[in-house]
This record gives sequence, C-alpha cells and structure tokens, in this order.
Amino acid sequence: MRLWLGTAAALCTAAALALSLPPLRSLIEQSMVWHMAVQMPLLMLAGALCGGWCSGSGGGSGGPRCLPALPRLQRFNRYGLSGFMLALCVTAFWMLPTSIDRAVVMPTVDAAKLATLWLAGLALQRSMQPAPAAVHLFFGGFALPMMLWLGLYMASADLRLCNAYALASQQQAGRALVGWTVVLALLWGAGWARSSQIKVPLQQHHGLR
Amino acid sequence: MADLPRTAPAFAEDTGLLGTFAATLGVLILGLAAAVWATDGGRSFTTEALRRSQVERTPQALPDFAVVDGSGQSRSLQGLWAAGGKVWIVDFVYTRCVTLCLSAGSSMQQLQAQIVAQGLASRVGLMTISFDPENDGPAALAAYVRRVRADPAVWQVLSLARPADRRRLLDSFGIMVVPAPGGEFEHNAALHLVSPPGLLLRILGLDQGAQALALAAP
Repeated sequence: MRLWLGTAAALCTAAALALSLPPLRSLIEQSMVWHMAVQMPLLMLAGALCGGWCSGSGGGSGGPRCLPALPRLQRFNRYGLSGFMLALCVTAFWMLPTSIDRAVVMPTVDAAKLATLWLAGLALQRSMQPAPAAVHLFFGGFALPMMLWLGLYMASADLRLCNAYALASQQQAGRALVGWTVVLALLWGAGWARSSQIKVPLQQHHGLR
Repeated sequence: MADLPRTAPAFAEDTGLLGTFAATLGVLILGLAAAVWATDGGRSFTTEALRRSQVERTPQALPDFAVVDGSGQSRSLQGLWAAGGKVWIVDFVYTRCVTLCLSAGSSMQQLQAQIVAQGLASRVGLMTISFDPENDGPAALAAYVRRVRADPAVWQVLSLARPADRRRLLDSFGIMVVPAPGGEFEHNAALHLVSPPGLLLRILGLDQGAQALALAAP
C-alpha cells in the first residue's frame, strides 16, 4: 500500500510537471481543458497522494520519514481548519481568469501554480480525517458551488474570460469543471457515507431489521 | 527518558485551538492579499480589463515599426502617428478573418462615417494593422481596403514590413492571438487610442466607438 501510494504520488507529480515543460507545455497553452481540468486536478491529486504516502492511513504517527515536519504541523491544523482554508484560497486563486492567463505567459507564475496547487492537495489530504462534519460542509459548501457556478458560466458565456484561450476551449473547460464538481460531490458524499457520522444510523437501521 | 515520546504529543494536544485559528486566519489573509494583487484590488478579473485599466492610469509609450500599406510603400509607424498631429484610433485584424474582424471592420466603418460627417478628418485618424504579415501583403491589404471601403484620407490599412516584428508589436499593445478552430485566430479585439508622440492613451471595446471618438476629438 505504502509503495503503491508513493509510486502513484511520484507519477502524478511527474506528469503534472511535464505538462508545464516542453514539449507537453503546448497542450496547456492551447487548451484550457488540459490546463484547468487536467493539470490542476492532477497537481492536487499528486499532493494528496504524497500526503497519504508520508503519513500512512493512520495519520500522525504512521511514517514521518519523508516529511518529518508534517505531524508537527498538524498542531496548527486542528479540525482541518487551516488545511481546508489553504486549499480553498489556492483553488479560488487559480480559478481567476487573470491568474490562468499569467500562468500561461509567465514562467514564475506557472511555478507558483505548480507549488501551491500541489501543497493544496497535500493540505486537503491532511485535513479530511481531522475535520468534523461541520468543517466539511462549510468548505465543501463554499468550494463546490463556486466551481459549479464558474463552470456553468464558462460553458455558456459568449465572452472570452482569458486572453490566452479561444472561446471554444473556454466552453469545453467550463463543461469539464462542471463534471469535476459532480465527481467531487459524489466522492465527498461517498467518503461521508463511510465515515462514522453516517455509519452509526446505518448500523442502527441494520440492527432494527 | 521513556516518558519523552509521550509528553511531546501531550504538549501538542494542550496548545488548543489558538495556533490553528492563527494559522487559518494567516492563510485567509495571504489568500485575500494574493487575490487583491492579481485582480488590481478586485477591479479587474480578466487580463483584458487589467490591460485597459493599466493603460488608462498610465499611458504607454509605443515602439516604432516599419509598416507597409496597400500600395506596397514602406513607412515608419511613429512617423505616421506624428504627421498631422491627429489622434489615432487603432485596431488589429488579419484580413482572412470572417468572424470577429467583421465586427471590428464595421465599427471602424461607422467611425469613418462619423469622422467624415462631423468634419473631424484633420483631428482623428483611423488605422487598421494586420498581425498576420505573412499572409497580409500589399495585395491583401488593398483588397481589405476595398472590402471595408476605407477612405485613404481617414483610414490607413497597414501590415508589418518585417514579419519578425509581429511578437514585439502584439506585446507592445498587450494583444494575445490564439489559434481557433477552422484555421482562424481569436484575439482581444479593441479600439486603441494613440496620441501623436506614439503614446497608447486608452483601450476601449469595439462597441465603444462613440466614446473613442469623443475622447479623440473632445
């Protein structure tokens, strides 16, 4: 399991980095779908997988071998509050059309994008378990409608938001963003159904039968 | 010594929520600061809005380029801008264009009609510059002049004499050209106000021709 997570984290990180370098860079320069709906989620996934690999599934004491500071940082991440806030701020920032254009044109901004989205994925992974239902609902209830709104707007607007992309590409990316919102909502719901908050009533229900 | 590993986490438990609240607030402040920086204080969420407000606040000096017109005559762009002391309304096209450039062409046509009707030809000039110098030689420019019925006394239609200048020209105006389906280009089309010393004064939308004319000839 540990080896599998580590390999997956390395592969996702390498793939996301490769999309920012030639020859694959032309993909994210020409297609907003590759930039926003492939590379950005891939970066967060890579960070999250690395978090899972470093901590083990049990959380803090599992294996501080690769990132020894991680368990100590959890002191500042009670209930996953700072991790969720970091992920929300980072994803909201990279949804700004000005940020997307800058990442296409300016290599320094692109490097910042790679680092912050990867960290946001790591922070999110470190925050899922300590966060109670209220924190999940608060941040999920903020981030998912934000993504859905932007996705629907991009898919339907006739106005180009990014100077770097053609209108057709923006509309495709909008539809992809809506797709990601649905996938994330389903994953989040499935995670909840498995977690203790919902397991208890389910077991009781089972017991009554 | 055996107690040490246990006291460390216990201490960590005891620090309570203060550290978490401080970290969360810090992240939020940093995130908001980054967003404020990226959007010019929440005013411009798109690069195009940013470009227009930056130019409005600080007019930008433009470099010189060698250009050709429909007759094949090569000239200096700065020389054209300086001659006659006119304020120029500049737009960018590629003459093969059949989509957005049609609306750019028609808004320039309306401006030309207004300039002639109001007798402003000595104060305001129109200029269309092609960003596709490889395809837009003198013959293509002459065909475009006929198509939009450009009056040479009012409206100059030009292309770059050196195709290698294309990148520098687009960068100096802040224009991004991206390939679009069907071999077309998409670009942030706009009306650019240029004053005699080659200063980019304002950038307005294609639908803001009346405002552009009012600014050019107050």
